[in-house]
Amino acid sequence: MGTGFANSKIESERVSDKFPVGMKILLVDDDVTCLTVVKRMLLICQYDVTVCAEATSALSLLRENKSAFDLIISDVHMPDMDGFRLLELVGLEMDLPVIMMSSDTRFDVVMKGVSHGACDFLSKPVRMEELQNIWQHVVRRKWFENKEIERSGSVEESEHNRHIIDDSEYTSTVNDGPDSSWKYQKKKRDSKEDDDTELDSVDPTSSKKPRVVWSVELHQQFVNAVNQLGIDKAVPKRILELMNVPGLTRENVASHLQKFRLYLKRLSGVAQQQNSFSNTLCGASSNAKLGQLGRLDFQTMAVSGQISPQTLAALQDELLGRPSRSLTMPSMNQPVVQQALVQGNSCVSFERGITFGQPLLKGQELSSFPVWSSNNLGVVGSSNNLGGLDASQNSNMLMAMLPLPQPQPHSRTISSESNHAINVQPSCLVAPTKPSDNFQVAVNPMLNHDSVAVPTQSSGSYQAGNAIAPMTQDSVVVPQSSTSMKMEKNDVKNLRSTILPSQSYTSISLGNNPGLVNYGSVTIPCQQANKSQSDKTFLMNHNSLVVPSQSSSTLKTQRDVLVNHNSTRNKDSTHFNYIRLPTKSNVVTSSMAQILDGDFHNLATAGYLAPETNTSDILLSTGSNTSWQLASSKGIIGQSNVHDFCNVQATDTMSVILSDKGEGKNLGFVGKGTCLPSRFAVDDIESPTNELTNGITYTGDDAYFLNQDVYGALQSGPCATTSYK
Amino acid sequence: MEIGKLQRRYLDFTSTLFHEGFLDNQFTQLQQLQDESSPEFVLEVVTLFFEDSEKLLDELSRTLDQQAVDFKKVDAHVHQLKGSSASIGAQRVKNVCVAFRNFCEEMNQEGCLRCLRQVRNEYFLVKNKLETLFALEQQIVAAGGSVPMMW
Repeated sequence: MGTGFANSKIESERVSDKFPVGMKILLVDDDVTCLTVVKRMLLICQYDVTVCAEATSALSLLRENKSAFDLIISDVHMPDMDGFRLLELVGLEMDLPVIMMSSDTRFDVVMKGVSHGACDFLSKPVRMEELQNIWQHVVRRKWFENKEIERSGSVEESEHNRHIIDDSEYTSTVNDGPDSSWKYQKKKRDSKEDDDTELDSVDPTSSKKPRVVWSVELHQQFVNAVNQLGIDKAVPKRILELMNVPGLTRENVASHLQKFRLYLKRLSGVAQQQNSFSNTLCGASSNAKLGQLGRLDFQTMAVSGQISPQTLAALQDELLGRPSRSLTMPSMNQPVVQQALVQGNSCVSFERGITFGQPLLKGQELSSFPVWSSNNLGVVGSSNNLGGLDASQNSNMLMAMLPLPQPQPHSRTISSESNHAINVQPSCLVAPTKPSDNFQVAVNPMLNHDSVAVPTQSSGSYQAGNAIAPMTQDSVVVPQSSTSMKMEKNDVKNLRSTILPSQSYTSISLGNNPGLVNYGSVTIPCQQANKSQSDKTFLMNHNSLVVPSQSSSTLKTQRDVLVNHNSTRNKDSTHFNYIRLPTKSNVVTSSMAQILDGDFHNLATAGYLAPETNTSDILLSTGSNTSWQLASSKGIIGQSNVHDFCNVQATDTMSVILSDKGEGKNLGFVGKGTCLPSRFAVDDIESPTNELTNGITYTGDDAYFLNQDVYGALQSGPCATTSYK
Repeated sequence: MEIGKLQRRYLDFTSTLFHEGFLDNQFTQLQQLQDESSPEFVLEVVTLFFEDSEKLLDELSRTLDQQAVDFKKVDAHVHQLKGSSASIGAQRVKNVCVAFRNFCEEMNQEGCLRCLRQVRNEYFLVKNKLETLFALEQQIVAAGGSVPMMW
């Protein structure tokens, strides 16, 4: 073993037959005692060791010559620079494997290591046995890299490497003590192994990679390409070819793909849980009351109370809860919008990078849905709750788009005709549109990023059971004139938005679909929905819920709530969200009332402005820790009298910002830590090469990247303006 | 004293240190890392530990003495002390550090001060013991014998 490995190294000869002998390690720790001990141990293991007592000098050493080292071992707590920061920088710039060490082995600390991309975590005092097997991290990385090369064409090498790998044992570091083999590290490894794509998209010896900003359009192209190839067959090289974007490198695509896949996986986990929920939806007059889930910070506002409490709860749980799941909100009490935007714009940065930006529909134009792309809202890693828990940090996936009535995906803008003009970028599932009587998307395939687009021309009933929709990332779009669209769980729970444009659906019940419970926005435009009950649609979180209904006789969007975060923060919280509920028609059933009328104010402590206009651009922001409910009664969204509202517990203060109607912009916000201006703009988000879960946001500096990549972007512009007929 | 006796005394003393919790298995690991290529390894590391710890203890005293205690700083120092004591196997010192950190989190100045006193005591105790141990080793070597190891 070793030859194949050695070939890819610059100094191959000396390593070749004796690997791991001579493997070059850079050891960084401000504690001299520990430094001495570990160095000695490494020398005995026959590694080549360089020590540094300062992170900054380690970094400059690395920058001078990346190929000088194979592996880095670093302490977590250092005075000049946080170990995680170093970890991140190394991952970004040099893409070398990094092992963290600390005497502090609390869950959140270790989790933070995982989320920042560490390949292992050793607890101090470090033992010899643990160090003996660390070479596996180097090999593994090389192997996957070679595998990537293979995909591009050279089979022999990878086979050779695979052979090498097979020979070696993939065990995590051995130790009898309480540490290093972390289960999830292993799981992560396993999942990486399962994952066909390479893990490291960059050759460690390559030069510094330029940052790529994954804008909405870019991501869209990416998703298109992936869909075209098929999620399993999508390899960076081909994706790159399909995308045909000048300046984009295969490595950029590869790392983006890696994140995407992780995100998908995560979503599917979430989705599965979702599926277990009952699909009652529609019809069910669920009470908006969402039990307060301990963890949920916000609750989806069930528009029409369609959502049954359980579902809602489940949804919420799902959305919010699951710390491990990420994507959704941070754990309890965490304000949804965690970190306010970096720039002070409205950006909501979550812990988990959920961000959505949603365009709001213009009141007037119903037809278009706001297409919003969910961007990760600043998911800022590490903070809150669970330092380590932020499982999903980035990953926002593309926004879901609503398909137009026609099966073809449309561009984001919504055509005036149809309500939705949203392109569905389904990665997974797209429901064919046709006059099916009922379209059932049970488990939405789109768990992952894709949006479940279920265009049905005239489906009798569209049932997006269990969240088809974009459970995560994408939006579930159920367009058309389905008579009834039931998005049960689907909702885009995550980031995405569920858009349910239905031309004339009689009823859209976004069942518990939390619509977008997370980040996305849910817009339910219904032209003439007889009753669109978006119960809960959405957007609990970040996104805005737009529920325009043209002429629904009853527009029960109950909760269109968009509780989103985006928006500028007022004092400390972000607020925003606006929900536009343009409803011309009388619809607005009581539940909606408020929203429609736009005079709801947000209960949040942040205070919100009640929209004056009737058309209401309503921004609902959830206040921090307060639950506010959309009162069904006239537009008062207030704490009191909210009947079947879901309680939206705003995490953090959110202020509601009402946008004036005239603005044709959707409020979308693009997550990304950097603020989301009220109009939503797509921020460029740098997508770090780190994993998704990296939720660190740094401002400035090369390490800056907003919470996770922002996939999808809000579409600025006239999107989703629906025209009311 | 003849070598055999010296060696026995050494072994007894070492064994007591372990039983009384002054040292733990990590110290044994250190001893195992010592060999002909690095014959003074343990002494070197322990000396580093002494220097580092004394600096930390002074810093801790200073920081806790202020009107407005910066608990984060205190915590950082304690964390460091914990790490280094763990690295050489100074178990009792490390254990006090654990309790110390809890008080830091609670921002309990009184508790911190108590822990500081305690950690100082433990530190000087273990320092004393280790110095004795090294002296015994030197005696054996001076008498022409070799230092017996516990494992």
